[in-house]
Amino acid sequence: MTEYKLNVAHLYGDLMNTYGDYGNAVALGYYAKQLGVEVETEIVSLGDEFDAKAYDFVLFGGGQDYEQMIVCKDIPSKADAIKEYIENDGPFLGVCGGFQLLGDYFILADGTRVEGIKAMGHYTLNQPNGRFIGNVIIEDPTNGDVYRGFENHQGRTFLDDKQRPLGELKQGKGNNGEDGGEGLVYRNVYGTYFHGPIFARNGNLTLRVLEKMLNRRYPDVDWHSRIEKIEPEFY
Amino acid sequence: MTLRSSLATAVGRSSYFVLHDVLKRGGSSLPGKLAMKIDPQVMSHLAEKYDVILITGTNGKTLTTALTTRVLREIYPDVITNPSGSNMMQGITGTMLTAKPKDKNARPIALLEVDEANVEEVARQLKPMAFVLTNIFRDQLDRYGEIYTTYEKVLKGIRLFPEATVIANADSPIFLREELPNPKVYYGFNHVSADGDMRAPSNTDGVLSPTDNSILHYHFMTYGNQGYYFSKTDDFKRPELDYAVTKLIEMTPQSSTFEIDGTPFKIEIGGMYNIYNALAAYSVGRFMGVDVPHVQHAFTSNAQIFGRQETIKVEDKVVTIVLIKNPVGANQVIDMMKTDDQPFSLVTLLNANYADGIDTSWIWDADFESLLGTGISAVSTGGERYKDMYVRLKMAGFGAHPIYPNLKDVLGAIKEMPTEHVYVAATYTAMMQLREEMKQAGYIKTEKEA
Repeated sequence: MTEYKLNVAHLYGDLMNTYGDYGNAVALGYYAKQLGVEVETEIVSLGDEFDAKAYDFVLFGGGQDYEQMIVCKDIPSKADAIKEYIENDGPFLGVCGGFQLLGDYFILADGTRVEGIKAMGHYTLNQPNGRFIGNVIIEDPTNGDVYRGFENHQGRTFLDDKQRPLGELKQGKGNNGEDGGEGLVYRNVYGTYFHGPIFARNGNLTLRVLEKMLNRRYPDVDWHSRIEKIEPEFY
Repeated sequence: MTLRSSLATAVGRSSYFVLHDVLKRGGSSLPGKLAMKIDPQVMSHLAEKYDVILITGTNGKTLTTALTTRVLREIYPDVITNPSGSNMMQGITGTMLTAKPKDKNARPIALLEVDEANVEEVARQLKPMAFVLTNIFRDQLDRYGEIYTTYEKVLKGIRLFPEATVIANADSPIFLREELPNPKVYYGFNHVSADGDMRAPSNTDGVLSPTDNSILHYHFMTYGNQGYYFSKTDDFKRPELDYAVTKLIEMTPQSSTFEIDGTPFKIEIGGMYNIYNALAAYSVGRFMGVDVPHVQHAFTSNAQIFGRQETIKVEDKVVTIVLIKNPVGANQVIDMMKTDDQPFSLVTLLNANYADGIDTSWIWDADFESLLGTGISAVSTGGERYKDMYVRLKMAGFGAHPIYPNLKDVLGAIKEMPTEHVYVAATYTAMMQLREEMKQAGYIKTEKEA
């Protein structure tokens, strides 16, 4: 029995799971275990209610186009609760499709405009003749941390002025191939195109987000000094 | 046959004669290439005298085709087939050009493995009497080709021939997405009672009901998204099976013993996926009028065609090398290892060249965690992307373990493993490199077909 527990919602985890996104949950559990913290992951999918107060972390991955369109039809029923969770500083990781769907809208490869849940202001255009595929390296301008990943996306995402990129590109195309940014940070929301998965490959980021989760749930514990003793994994 | 086709056929055949008999080279694609240059329609003329059966799907095409060929040859004198890998137009044309009929009175059968993307083109020319559908999974090498897009390509071929029989794996829900007018033969598993109610593990592809896109439930699952599925929101469910695996008797890494419709069968290869291949071969055989004893005979008398999972003796170790390239395949390899009744060690080798797939993220969708607490005694990782696999296995709960960035060191490492049984799960180029090392060290004597 562990004293501390984190509740994780894997949003549409049975549909949006194409590129190893589940590895983010594995990595989180790996570090939490070393802190004596139990992680319980629950899939919140089609027709399920999303309880804005029930979770300490939300993971929302990428999927095939077909599944993503099914999710688009269901997610409006959860949109208000997701916004409430985000505005209450709930830690959130959106990857690829999960990153796009949190924004204003996105344009599919065939030109169709699909509305996002508008929890944030970013929007995603298509690229008629291409896809960004390859290794990515970025540097977080707020702390100098370097993150590594693999990108494979057709969408080109642009942030609004309330958001900042997760990192500045050292290698790869990033959000849109134009502005040198990759991903987004807004409150405790992290968006990214990184497969790989980002938490498995970048232990520095994972531990920082884990600390946010723990401080939010158990504010009386000195998590920082405990987390400092953990060795982060990288590749 | 038109003059042009006759010329094409003649050129194709004589080029085969020069390559094969004079130059002593295999050459199965050049004759087809030459003949097709002269007459692009040559195949349809060649095919007129055959009963054509096409086999397609992501995994299992090659073994299903090989097994089915043996089954049909039990009673049919002339069954031609394309060698593994020659599943594009040129290879198939070459196969037909170079076939020599044994019995002039019997109508020969052409049993052909076809790449999913080529089904329409091949079907159009060959006018098949039956399509055999094994499964459709997301493949590492084709990551943004979605499973629905792949199935649509297969459907384009089937729609051309509404009289052709569709012999399909009914445990794979994707094959029920379209109401086809064709006669159907369904095969699948009925090895446990159908009273459960479960959902697929979270990272499983293709679990939406074709009727209303609700998430499918299962009475039981076999592997991947396959099993006895049903919908909770309407009456959609797996169709009645014509042929079914009714019992799993014994599964080891080297063999499987099971029953189909109550009759016992044994195949000299491990893995649930290979039982599906055998079931497909059985179903095609029965459809073509082969009786059960002949199918049994075909399975037991052709052990050499299960050559893929060969074991290699390295000093006192028995080494099994298996290819891993996508999550469904890797999970099948993991399940196969778990059937070993001896303790074993696992070496994972990960490269990320084009032939391996350049994105390694799929390793997180493979269930390495499920090996914890089994007979596994040691793990180690190697290959160019050893770091990726190292972190994967560490986070799966195996802790820190030996790494071999240079594949030249792997052979020495195998000899030091704590168990007699050693499994090497490797991506394509890593597997080829290790086999080369083993050849140079004399552990692999002859070149076997991959």
